[in-house]
Amino acid sequence: MTTPLLEITDLQKKFPIKKSWLQPQSYVHAVDGVSLTVREGETVGIVGESGCGKSTFGRCVLRLLEPTGGEVKFQGENYLKLPRRAMHSIRRNMQMVFQNPYDTLNPKLSISRILAEPLIAHGIPRDQHRQMMEEIIEIVGLTPAHLARYPHEFSGGQRQRIGIARALMLKPKLIVADEPVSALDVSIQSQILNLLTELQEKFSLSYLFISHDLSVVEHISDRVAVMYLGEIVELADKNSLFADPKHPYTQALLSSVLSTDPDASRERIRLTGELPSPANPPKGCKFHTRCHACMEICKTEKPALKKLEDGTMTACHLY
Amino acid sequence: MDNGSAAPSVHAGSETKGNASERLGLLSRVMHRKSARFSFISLLVIAVIGIIGPWIAPHDPAKSYYDAFLQGPSARHWLGTDVIGRDVASRILYGARITITVALMAVGITFTAGTLIGVISGYIGGLVDKILMRLTDILLALPAIVLAFSIVAVLGPSLNNAMIAIGIASFPGFARIVRGATLVVKSAGYVEASRSIGSPHWRIILFQIIPNISNVLIVYTTLFMGTAILETAALGFIGLGAQPPTPEWGTMLSEGKDYLDHAWWLVLFPGLAITFVVFSVMMLGDALRDMFDPKTEVK
Amino acid sequence: MSAILEVDGLVTKVNMNKGAITLVEDISFRLEKGEAIGLVGESGCGKSVTALSLMRLLSTNVEITSGSIRLNERLLTRYTEKEMQKIRGKELAMIFQDPMTSLNPVLTVGHQIGEVLKRHEGLRSSLSKEKVIGLLKQVGIPRPEQIYQEYPHRLSGGMRQRVMIAMAIACSPSLLIADEPTTALDVTIQSQILDLLTEVRRSTGMSLIMITHDFGVVAETCDKVMVMYAGQVVESADVRTLLRNPRHPYTRGLLNSLPEKTRGSRRLYSIPGSVPAPGAERKGCRFAPRCDRVMPICREHNPELKPVDEGSQCRCWLYQSEDEPEADL
Repeated sequence: MTTPLLEITDLQKKFPIKKSWLQPQSYVHAVDGVSLTVREGETVGIVGESGCGKSTFGRCVLRLLEPTGGEVKFQGENYLKLPRRAMHSIRRNMQMVFQNPYDTLNPKLSISRILAEPLIAHGIPRDQHRQMMEEIIEIVGLTPAHLARYPHEFSGGQRQRIGIARALMLKPKLIVADEPVSALDVSIQSQILNLLTELQEKFSLSYLFISHDLSVVEHISDRVAVMYLGEIVELADKNSLFADPKHPYTQALLSSVLSTDPDASRERIRLTGELPSPANPPKGCKFHTRCHACMEICKTEKPALKKLEDGTMTACHLY
Repeated sequence: MDNGSAAPSVHAGSETKGNASERLGLLSRVMHRKSARFSFISLLVIAVIGIIGPWIAPHDPAKSYYDAFLQGPSARHWLGTDVIGRDVASRILYGARITITVALMAVGITFTAGTLIGVISGYIGGLVDKILMRLTDILLALPAIVLAFSIVAVLGPSLNNAMIAIGIASFPGFARIVRGATLVVKSAGYVEASRSIGSPHWRIILFQIIPNISNVLIVYTTLFMGTAILETAALGFIGLGAQPPTPEWGTMLSEGKDYLDHAWWLVLFPGLAITFVVFSVMMLGDALRDMFDPKTEVK
Repeated sequence: MSAILEVDGLVTKVNMNKGAITLVEDISFRLEKGEAIGLVGESGCGKSVTALSLMRLLSTNVEITSGSIRLNERLLTRYTEKEMQKIRGKELAMIFQDPMTSLNPVLTVGHQIGEVLKRHEGLRSSLSKEKVIGLLKQVGIPRPEQIYQEYPHRLSGGMRQRVMIAMAIACSPSLLIADEPTTALDVTIQSQILDLLTEVRRSTGMSLIMITHDFGVVAETCDKVMVMYAGQVVESADVRTLLRNPRHPYTRGLLNSLPEKTRGSRRLYSIPGSVPAPGAERKGCRFAPRCDRVMPICREHNPELKPVDEGSQCRCWLYQSEDEPEADL
């Protein structure tokens, strides 16, 4: 068994909450002990609703936010504590694609300067820049003529392609995609998803694909992790998760997805109550306040992530 | 996977931006707006006068005409003469150069110090930001003109010291504005993208932040120029700025105020000059600000 | 038997420096009492403009240049602003995508809902407070007495949307226009809000226009649906028919692009090209450049919206005979 590309163990990120001088410092545990591995060429989808911590998690993996605990190993090497210099060379291998195509490109820079930035930052000799840019821009479906233009001349879908091109310039092994298609129209979404699939096949890329859209995640992922209030509640390969969700939250989530089949059963698992405040999560299992299968033990004891027979990992006292 | 040509933006008024064409684009936008065009041309004229003033002046500004003390506007002395017979018109023309120089120098100090502090404070944040902002708060506690007086009082009255004083008095306000603009840009997606690429901070500041606060810099530099001219004249008027016989407009006002009841031209013409220049500068600044603000821009 | 809403030949244009640009045209449809119709399309298709035209809430340089809108038989297109203000909130209401910008952050929830009641029904404070709390209950807000005094920013997205709905239904309008009401919400909250809307419709007989880009929302809440592209309606039918058997190539393309339609395949179907900008030069069918079944006539003449079946209409040469070509629209 080869070393997985990325090994995340018990990652934590807490944010201090400002309180008065007299009270002890309290925290929001945005990411509260997440463990995950990503293999080469694999797509792991991270799914969850607002407040679950998936975006924070993605940024912690790249150290755009500094995690407050845990370990992340890239090809066996833990890089969370590395100083800036050493971290720099690891960054070549991990890049990010962002959600908002209208905000992710500097409006004052031409596309060629935007694409050149990663090359400059990592010391690639200037005479190679042009060729590398032309190569990548064509791969993402645009033309070298576009390199001289400015972001405002492009549509949302095209800007997202440019964002993807920027992420590919250094030929990374892992791309963290934070809601890469959520801001795009449906017909453009499918174009971009196809592009991402193609690129993965071409370059053996691994993706950490963060999204709230379950049908998109189902399409593109190999394995899927469901997050709730900073924790993974279920982690399984795509087919198992969507065919037979184990955790009650996953079940509720899947049942809420609206089908376009007019005859589909519209029975839903209703979630009671509101999302608890992340600053003050419920005791025991964080989901117990809204769970339709809540038992006594759920209120006091926190369930650990356990592996089931079919390979699914889930954190629930039902199992 | 056909993407065709770039989708044109629906917003009328969007510009083609490029380094050379951006400057040209800005110029053409300025010329298109009535208010901006008028003030820009006026300032251009004033700048030209400032440069060629000495050559077109009908008389030597320091020369006393013993046969024409305190004479009103006449054929020989278009704007009259002052108490020691000097030609007012020539003095005003020479004074243009002084005014412009002072304004530019003072604004230069404000711009450099203000931008440096504002960007660093906004970008680094944390303790550095807190300390720098407390220091600027201390300076901002005093009205700019009072602060300028105090500095000149310490350094001694002279045109140079007036310039320095105004520059120092104005930079805290400028720094605050720049810091605000920096904070906005800092939270933009493309700055986060730069960090994820591993770009060093200095590159991010230089290529991501500064180009995107350039609008703010242009507008507020222009507006501060107007204030600087006014403050120079004020210091000159009080006697803390340019010293006689320098033909600075504020100093001329000071000299002329004692003769207001029978030699109105000694006060009117320098006063008009100051008003006109400051008005043009402020109008240009306002027009630029409206041009750059997408909400007030009428499409 | 008469319809709640009758729109006929609506054309809305925006005045720009270079002249007027048509945003939507040839919009005609009927809505019966208690019915829900979905207005589906991608960004730039004109669905929001249509909604704002119905509410007569267009910005200053945008105006309805022809066509008519009849609400309960009354000709809204002839109403003055003052007359419109009387019916907005009372007979005709709208909820928007982002409740944060529709709710005043410095006024309490109770105050804002009460304002609607005060304006249109003249209720005094004590009576209106009771009614407001009743409304909050009706929209499923827990602890309504407490929420009455809360400020909008303290509530979650789902709660705020419920407050918006409470404000909208306060005076029992005949018609509610919902512009992407759940797009910004989590999927579990989305289904709660849609259920709420269906429940309100059921109990009050209110009609609904649901504007969305999401066919799932349409399948869930609507009886009929209209698909818009580049400012025109390209297909309209009842929901079952359209989802099971879409006719217009654009509708088919959109539905096929959905990830749920290509289970198991690595590639999704995608419509090539992109939506044309409003005001772009047009000859022939607006979808022709991207259509996989384009014919020569499509590039010459824009088809009209013609009936294809019982209750269905389609704007496509595939379903119309070519012997009466119409002039370009």
